[in-house]
Amino acid sequence: MKTNAINAEPNKARAGRPARLTLADWMPKIVMAPTVIVTLVCMYGYMIWTAVLSMTNSRMLPSYDFVGLSQYERLFNNDRWIVALTNLGIFGGLFILICLVLGVILAIFLDQKIRSEGAIRTIYLYPMAISFIVTGTAWKWLLNPTNGFEKLMIDMGFTDFTFDWLVNPDKVVYCLVIAAVWQASGFVMALFLAGLRGVDGDLIKAAQLDGANTFTTYRRIILPSLKPVFFSAMVILSHIAIKSFDLVAALTNGGPGYSSDLPANFMYAHTFTRSQIGLGSASAMVMLGCVLAILVPYLYSELRGERNE
Amino acid sequence: MSNIKAIRRKTTAIERLLRVALYLVLISVAAIYLLPFIVMLITSLKDVEEIRTGTLLSLPASLHFDSWSKAWSSACTGSTCDGISPFFLNSFQIVIPAVIISTVLGAINGYVISMWKFRGSDLFFAALLIGCFIPFQVILLPMARTLGWLGIANTTTGLVFVHVVYGVAFTTLFFRNFYQSVPGELVKAARLDGAGFFTIFYRIILPISTPIIVVTVIWQFTQIWNDFLFGVAFSGFDTQPVTVALNNLVNTSFGGKEYNVDMAAAIMAALPTLIVYVLAGKYFVRGLTAGAVKG
Amino acid sequence: MANLVIDNVIKRYGQTEVLKGINIAIEAGEFLILVGPSGCGKSTLMNSIAGLEEVTEGRILIDDKDVTYANPKDRDIAMVFQSYALYPNMTVEQNISFGLEMRKVPKEDRDIEVKRVAEMLQITHLLHRKPAQLSGGQRQRVAMGRALARRPQLYLFDEPLSNLDAKLRVEMRTEIKKLHQKLGTTIVYVTHDQIEAMTLADRIAVMKDGEVQQLGTPQEIYDNPANLFVAGFMGSPAMNFIPTKVVATDTGPMLELDAVQKTLLPFPNKACLESYVGKTIMLGLRPEMITEPQAHKDGQPFVITTEINVEVTEPMGADTMILTRVKENEINCRSHPAYPAKPGDNIKMMFDTSKAVAFDQETGVRLDV
Repeated sequence: MKTNAINAEPNKARAGRPARLTLADWMPKIVMAPTVIVTLVCMYGYMIWTAVLSMTNSRMLPSYDFVGLSQYERLFNNDRWIVALTNLGIFGGLFILICLVLGVILAIFLDQKIRSEGAIRTIYLYPMAISFIVTGTAWKWLLNPTNGFEKLMIDMGFTDFTFDWLVNPDKVVYCLVIAAVWQASGFVMALFLAGLRGVDGDLIKAAQLDGANTFTTYRRIILPSLKPVFFSAMVILSHIAIKSFDLVAALTNGGPGYSSDLPANFMYAHTFTRSQIGLGSASAMVMLGCVLAILVPYLYSELRGERNE
Repeated sequence: MSNIKAIRRKTTAIERLLRVALYLVLISVAAIYLLPFIVMLITSLKDVEEIRTGTLLSLPASLHFDSWSKAWSSACTGSTCDGISPFFLNSFQIVIPAVIISTVLGAINGYVISMWKFRGSDLFFAALLIGCFIPFQVILLPMARTLGWLGIANTTTGLVFVHVVYGVAFTTLFFRNFYQSVPGELVKAARLDGAGFFTIFYRIILPISTPIIVVTVIWQFTQIWNDFLFGVAFSGFDTQPVTVALNNLVNTSFGGKEYNVDMAAAIMAALPTLIVYVLAGKYFVRGLTAGAVKG
Repeated sequence: MANLVIDNVIKRYGQTEVLKGINIAIEAGEFLILVGPSGCGKSTLMNSIAGLEEVTEGRILIDDKDVTYANPKDRDIAMVFQSYALYPNMTVEQNISFGLEMRKVPKEDRDIEVKRVAEMLQITHLLHRKPAQLSGGQRQRVAMGRALARRPQLYLFDEPLSNLDAKLRVEMRTEIKKLHQKLGTTIVYVTHDQIEAMTLADRIAVMKDGEVQQLGTPQEIYDNPANLFVAGFMGSPAMNFIPTKVVATDTGPMLELDAVQKTLLPFPNKACLESYVGKTIMLGLRPEMITEPQAHKDGQPFVITTEINVEVTEPMGADTMILTRVKENEINCRSHPAYPAKPGDNIKMMFDTSKAVAFDQETGVRLDV
């Protein structure tokens, strides 16, 4: 393993050797201590705490009557949770897919020596600077059947046009997808554009000398070399999808009914407003499981790659 | 000879056409991305009557700024009707200390992790890295209890604490990755020159950290300003950040829905981060892509 | 100026032993060069002397004081790094005076010192620039200035010229040698460039695998390498190694250059070959030991003229390298440029084995000492 740091391990006092355990030697550890403590307690400690709570029958206040895994059993028999999980599947799948496709295409288009590329890029990316609450508020207005798109189309002469996804329990989840794609696809574009700019220029020249046209060069040479970017983007997008909470709160508030709930909203509602701390904790643990299922293989491959460098 | 020329002319014509198409696509996509913001702006400048009769894209007959002043100072957000201005200030009260503290901690942590490695520092960094990704739902309830014990539940101080705790993983990551590219010989040279831990940090490392400080500050500012989950879970009625207040304002239904006020409030809530983005977009993008693209 | 004693220093990282008991004593004012291939432990040794890495066992003495566990800043050492490690945010002047400032030298004295050093290195006009505005050679000078300003007891140079282009490297090499002669400082200098080692050093320590293979003056190391590794590492073009059979003759054991022509080479130290009769040893011949026939050497002992086949010629100006082949081994010969040699020709060459060396083929140990 290559390291450019100095080995600052203070000398362990050994018999017959002068130890030099001065304050200076301890300084790095002292200044790191607050972060270490806070991380261990507030991340890993709390994680364990929630795991413990998920195995109790806590309701309004945490209690420590252990009931085994029965909260998880309740959870997966809970219709609202199943809806939330299904929604996450649809929302997450579509959101990731569309963002990736759109992001790659836009990045490639922007990579063609476009005049005023900077301005266009700025426009594609600005939604990422905005809160999901603002995004939700804006799209709630745009997708609103009485005053939004539907009315715009009808006034333009398409009198039969209906666009009521926001109030249609079967379609409302697609509204979440639309708003989330609007917000995050520019980010994916930026990731891929940075990746494209990092591709070795000689590689492209070599491909062109080998007789590859632009399309083939992208398909066979450039895009395959962006595999790491592709995986990074996928991990980040799935992470955004799993913890999506504010977008639902602002755009649909879970409605109509609970047809647009996502796990994060389920967890919040049960923990903080419905006095079902045990059930809420169980749902949080399932969310953690989802994240880990994606993260662990990713980190594993990343670290292995680093070791091979 | 003439044959070759003909072929060349033909391809350039196709290429030119393709290029026009390319620009058309790029510009129409840009228009789609801009549309929601433009609609928000138009809507916020109409009066309620115009909104009811007109469509999304119909321009206001005359500019009405009443919705803006109402959103700012008299719109109802849940229990009070003082507009979003008090909450706007709350957000600043939370964001400024949280950004400063988490950036300072991140800088020092990054400095230690990359220049003063000790047994377990790499392991700790890995643990911190995973912390960047945990869904905050798993820490929500324990943190709520902790804030209660510490006596800072429902206060801006409590929110500052929470944002620092969960922001420091990212800030450390940023600084560590930056310092990883700083040659270790710099610290060796300074140690031989007789400088100690803090002198090296303050005199040599910090002065070259300006770019990463800007990236981190912008990232943290955007993240914390845009936060909703911690705001809604840990704030009291009078300590809500602006995102929570905006959501309350939009979902409060006293009489008729005032979309123009909603939109004005939404633009206001988005404005600080948008301004930062427009002024320092380069650094914002660098923060977004940091860690995602290697090298 | 101080002397430096490295006393049985061992450094381990976990299980791996990077330094396996190094013993070197350096006189005050001596210029010692540590040379060896990458991974030989020379940089680790350097860092140990500086106190940037702690040794596992052994002692380090500077000016007869045990500094094994002293902090880097308390050792009174200055170091010039390969990357120069100039503080990017400081001007040249601040870079040079930083070490003095840390040692609480008053401002006026610092200014005098900076001026002295800048004049000595001819960088006075650069004092107010930042490192990023300097060329490679200028940065190199500033890095040396930073070391000189503190007037330390001991200077460490860690491959200071590796990042310069060939021409500048030669210039700076001379500059460093001049400075050493003028100031009489004690210097430990790490390099992997054996020409640098030969030209600069009072003594050279050739290292490999965490051990000192040989410690001696450049000429000693060139003429009398302790083993096959040192012989192959020092010298450019490298020494020719020819596996040759030891055969018994009336005049004692001789070396059979090739089995076909049966050219027999005499060897100065016959005694050491006695026990190898019938076996194969590794003969070491520097390229300048195989030349065009020179009249004044005719008839001298240990000189043999024989015919070789030219494979490739490499004119180098002052002389021409002739590449030939004996058995499977490529052999470099150094001839006068006027000597006619074309690829494919059979030409006469003179082998002078008066300074040839012999090694055991398996162990690489020198036989004739």
